[in-house]
Amino acid sequence: MSQRDPEPRRVALLWISALVLVVASVGLAFREEAAHQGEARQQAEAQTEVLAGSVSAALSFDDETAMRQDLSALMRNPQVSAAAIYGTDGRQLALMARPDAGPAPARLAGPEDMQANGRDLVARPVVEQGSRLGFVYVQTAREDLSAFVARHTGLVILTLLALMLLTFMTSTAARLATANLRLNEEIEARAAAEDALRQSQKLEALGQLTGGIAHDFNNLLQAIRGAFELILGKAADEKVVRRWARNGLEASDRGASLTRQLLAFSRQQKLELKPLIVADTLAGMGDMLARTLGPKIELVFDLDEERVPVMSDATQLELAVMNMAVNARDAMPGGGRLTVRSRKVALSGDAVLPSGSYIELQVIDTGEGMPLHVMRRAFDPFYTTKALGKGTGLGLAQVYGVARQAGGDARIASAPGAGTTVTLMLSEASGEAAGPAEAPEAAAAAPSVAAGATVLLVDDDEAVRVVVRGGLEARGFKVLDANGGEAALQLAARGPQIAVIDYAMPGMDGAQTAERLRRALPQLPIILASGHPDTAAVERALGGSATIVRKPFDIAKLAETLTTMLARSA
Amino acid sequence: MRRLGAALAAGLFAGGAQAAPPLELAVKAAYIAKFAPFVVWPSSAFAGPRAPLVVCVQGDDPFDGMLERMAAGQNVGAHPLVVRRVARLDPESGCQIAYLAGSAAQSPAAALKAVEGQPVLTVTDGDSSRGIVHLVLVGDRVRFLIDAGKAGQSRLGISSKLLALAAEVKR
Repeated sequence: MSQRDPEPRRVALLWISALVLVVASVGLAFREEAAHQGEARQQAEAQTEVLAGSVSAALSFDDETAMRQDLSALMRNPQVSAAAIYGTDGRQLALMARPDAGPAPARLAGPEDMQANGRDLVARPVVEQGSRLGFVYVQTAREDLSAFVARHTGLVILTLLALMLLTFMTSTAARLATANLRLNEEIEARAAAEDALRQSQKLEALGQLTGGIAHDFNNLLQAIRGAFELILGKAADEKVVRRWARNGLEASDRGASLTRQLLAFSRQQKLELKPLIVADTLAGMGDMLARTLGPKIELVFDLDEERVPVMSDATQLELAVMNMAVNARDAMPGGGRLTVRSRKVALSGDAVLPSGSYIELQVIDTGEGMPLHVMRRAFDPFYTTKALGKGTGLGLAQVYGVARQAGGDARIASAPGAGTTVTLMLSEASGEAAGPAEAPEAAAAAPSVAAGATVLLVDDDEAVRVVVRGGLEARGFKVLDANGGEAALQLAARGPQIAVIDYAMPGMDGAQTAERLRRALPQLPIILASGHPDTAAVERALGGSATIVRKPFDIAKLAETLTTMLARSA
Repeated sequence: MRRLGAALAAGLFAGGAQAAPPLELAVKAAYIAKFAPFVVWPSSAFAGPRAPLVVCVQGDDPFDGMLERMAAGQNVGAHPLVVRRVARLDPESGCQIAYLAGSAAQSPAAALKAVEGQPVLTVTDGDSSRGIVHLVLVGDRVRFLIDAGKAGQSRLGISSKLLALAAEVKR
């Protein structure tokens, strides 16, 4: 819209400029013409006076030959078309005239200046030492048209040229504006294309990554499967079964951690942001970090005691610290020192972050550092300097994600040979202070409510149903299990007190099943189990009326959730 | 002897005067009056800045009052033109222009001699000795010869316009 506005204004400006130009030219031409005529007149007067001066003796002594000589000298000037000499009595004594001259007066009684038919007529007295001897008369030639045209052609041409130039310039400017507009559109289109390209590159990278993850998962599955096989073989030996079951659980935990990391990176998983004390979280990681770093690396904690809460997801924050620690370890193959530091800082005038109070969490290593070009891309997803299969390139990207989600920023400082410092600025949480998020008494009170409660379990996967049913029944729940939405609706008549529904099912999906169940039993608390990364989408589908547990879940945790919800609805 | 000379001179001049037709005399009279604007006298030649410019006719005046008529009411610069007749010309005559008609008392040559070197524009004609301006008849026209050298000796400035009109200029 606004880009089209200048057009009429430019046209108006063109017209005004052209008008001004023409008016100025005409004015100039008039002035020039007046000046020219004045000059011509002055010239005629000067000629006449020269004649009057030179002819005095000849006139005095009535020497016609001399008079004619003077006249013919004057007639050399093409501007003079006639010249004459008169005696004191006004009688014409000599006359010279061109064929095209106007009539010269036969008698002349006195000096006169006049104009006739575009000619200047000038008469002057001839005076010698105060004695008036007669008159001279000069008639100038009428300027012919060609001379007039020639005199003004220059200005006309200049004016026309200027007008043309003006038009040309205006049209050029218009074309330029159009071109600029088009260019801007193209830039926008290009930016959009680049965005699309970047997205597709990300997807492509994700595709490549999937291969690596599938491999990891296969390993994990292998471990789990092996554990179960061993359990199957030695089912009677309780000690062996326990050990291998623990191994299987560990493997599945690793798998869950891997998917969590991916989801955190994809940022589509809903983080459980809660106020937490960074120093507490870090202090609890000592063992884990020491084990990750190995014996060659000294671990130093330098933690604040400010007890300033930040909004973050404890698991994700731990994961971020782990990621940084792993990177640090890989940067110090020959050993070194890792410092984990937290302190409160008051920030103002930062380029990125708003002023305020922050917890600065730093992980500092004494490793090999990195050059600038690597540092610049360190937070980019999938950017890694590690060998294929050794790293996903997601570690620091996850760190960055955690920092941003906590209302902060992640920075990196490094130089080759000078170690690396990764800094997370985490914004101080406003409002309620951090504390234990869940009231422990709720869980303690739960069993009495939960005892004997009937759970409607809906899942299309029989193996899952069997495992979960067993687990829940072992905890005192009664379980009605259905292999799909239709079966679940039939079971609704049997009065379940709570429902656990798998989200991804063929036919009627979890959300639809939940909705239909609600119609029959409006007060029914519902838990949806979902492996889908986009928990927000699932929540939207349910209108916020259900609780979501993320798959894979452990049964103890599910039982806890069931108990809590039953207590709330009771 | 003296009488003879006078008679001869008178005869010569009478003859000249009689031979000259009235028109020629009128033209000469007009010329004499008209020389004034083209001649510059030293200021010492005049009694005062507004003193008359005196045109003298020495000897026997042939003009019969024509010169007076020509000069009547004429001014040259601030000087009114007056005509005076003198029998004998001398430096005390107070003439700025002198037409030397000659007489028995003083021939033109004697008159010339009398004002030699004085700022007097001497005008002569006929066969007599030549003054600064000498009138001649060329064809049927009256022309004049100018002796610029003599004019210079007499401290007179002659306008180049007049010189241009002269039939002959003696340097």
